[in-house]
Amino acid sequence: MTDRSSRDGVVGSASVAVSARNLGKSYGDTVAVRDLSFDARAGEVMGLLGPNGAGKTTTIKMLTTLLPIDSGSATIVGIDVAAQPDAVRRVIGLAGQFAAVDEKLTAQENLEMFGRLYKIPKTERTQRVDHLIDRFDMGEFADRIAETYSGGQRRRLDVVASLIASPPVLFLDEPTTGLDPRSRTELWDEIADLATQGTAVVLTTQYLDEADRLSDRIIIIDEGVVKASGTSAELKTSLERDVLEVHVVSAEDLDRAVEVAEQVASGVSSDSEDRLLQIPLTDGSSQSLAVLRQFDASDIPIDDFQLRRPTLDDVFLTLTATGGNR
Amino acid sequence: MTTTHAALARRPGFATRFKWTLQDIATMTWRDLIRTWRQPEMLTFAVIMGVFFLLLFYYVFGGAIGAGTGVDYIQYLVPGIFVITTLTGAQQTGTGLATDLSQGVTDRFRSLPMSQMAVLGGRTIADALRNTISVVLVAIVGYMLGFRFVSIGAAIGAIVLSVGIGFSFSWMNAAIAAKVKSAEMVGMLSMFWLFPLMLASTVFTPAEQMPGWLQGFAKWQPISVVADAARKLSDGIPAGEAVLWSIVWILALLVVFVPIAAAVYRRG
Repeated sequence: MTDRSSRDGVVGSASVAVSARNLGKSYGDTVAVRDLSFDARAGEVMGLLGPNGAGKTTTIKMLTTLLPIDSGSATIVGIDVAAQPDAVRRVIGLAGQFAAVDEKLTAQENLEMFGRLYKIPKTERTQRVDHLIDRFDMGEFADRIAETYSGGQRRRLDVVASLIASPPVLFLDEPTTGLDPRSRTELWDEIADLATQGTAVVLTTQYLDEADRLSDRIIIIDEGVVKASGTSAELKTSLERDVLEVHVVSAEDLDRAVEVAEQVASGVSSDSEDRLLQIPLTDGSSQSLAVLRQFDASDIPIDDFQLRRPTLDDVFLTLTATGGNR
Repeated sequence: MTTTHAALARRPGFATRFKWTLQDIATMTWRDLIRTWRQPEMLTFAVIMGVFFLLLFYYVFGGAIGAGTGVDYIQYLVPGIFVITTLTGAQQTGTGLATDLSQGVTDRFRSLPMSQMAVLGGRTIADALRNTISVVLVAIVGYMLGFRFVSIGAAIGAIVLSVGIGFSFSWMNAAIAAKVKSAEMVGMLSMFWLFPLMLASTVFTPAEQMPGWLQGFAKWQPISVVADAARKLSDGIPAGEAVLWSIVWILALLVVFVPIAAAVYRRG
């Protein structure tokens, strides 16, 4: 985490599909992205995780030629984004936060239109459209106009539209925002599939479970800078602490319990509805005993307790500004 | 980088890029025609707008002007209504495009390897085709009220010039829409050019009936010039000079507004 290269998520490999170096973007006095560097390899899902306004969408827009890059540089499969935007557009697919399809066209017509704009020859294009409709199970609604679709159907069309030219690099900007759990899981499976077949996927999300589940590597960004990067497991380990969860019997004891726990650990959080304390511990087992003995001595009855490994939530909340500055 | 990707990084030659641009414009025109067709209420009102103007002005001004000057008013009015029709059609290019540009699909177009100008080109061409239908409808209703073209060639010439000037103004509105990005704003701004061009013109009354200081503008502004050419063509009066000035106006407006619209759109 302190080592610069791992902080930035830069890897040295020949199969680098996306390479961002010290990217920067400002709007007037507001810095949206500062000195952001990362790589994404072919066949890998790279997750950009951060709260709203962290700079995720700005980063994606710079990499997909929608916004000029203020400082730094980026290449997609070796093509420089600033110097050859037209060429970059031929090798990327983009699905945005908003279902970016034509509402008045059917799924079939939308895919046909995007295929034509990519200059895919007619025979190949027709086959490709049919194949995608079939593979992503869109047959039942492919002939209806898009404004009649459910949120899930529309989002699926949006993602599929970005696949029409089989791009080696796919950018998905919060692809599952607003989807119901089932559509979300289905989309996850499809994204994971694409990576398995060799596509490099750059995915932004504010959902920790999504980043945890899908990403081979994760970059946590906040206020336009990289806070941490690594695999999900590495990030959790990097916290170097376990969490003791204790349910007290009575909600009235909760404030007193926090005080008692604070004698051993710092950063204790409590939830009065669940009568739950979360106590971060650097030395899990021995400190747990100390905390529990204190509860006993202070006459605070408890229902149960467990010592758990940190989740991505803990990492995220620790690192992002919105989670408090501990 | 594999060889395929290296090939993609190379910029194709001029001939290929030109062919691709034409393909993109065709694709976007196809898209905008489908969109127009699938909004039947909008299409209906847009298409009958010209007929509405024709009937309104014919019955409001027809008696007064016709009786006073001895002019056959329907023969005078119809070619002017052609131009007014395509002008209001051009205004819809702006409002429609402003709505379109605020939607997510425009972001996708910007991320595609396509001619960005085709987004505007498709829309203006689709609107020109729709305008052609509106104008033909005006000619049909005009015929029922006693209007006559001197020949088929005259009819085609008058309609082409009217649609042509509408196409030029579509590009002006495309530029406005790309800049302000709001249909309401485009609608409001159109009051400032649509009404002066429409009313301070020779479409409804000859310039001689206006105050002296206004006559120069009324005679030479593009709507009057094209209306005059369409009228002369319809009546079989020698129209060479009027047609020439019409073409000059159509091309001049395109030369100015196509690059402006493209630049404003590109800047986002």
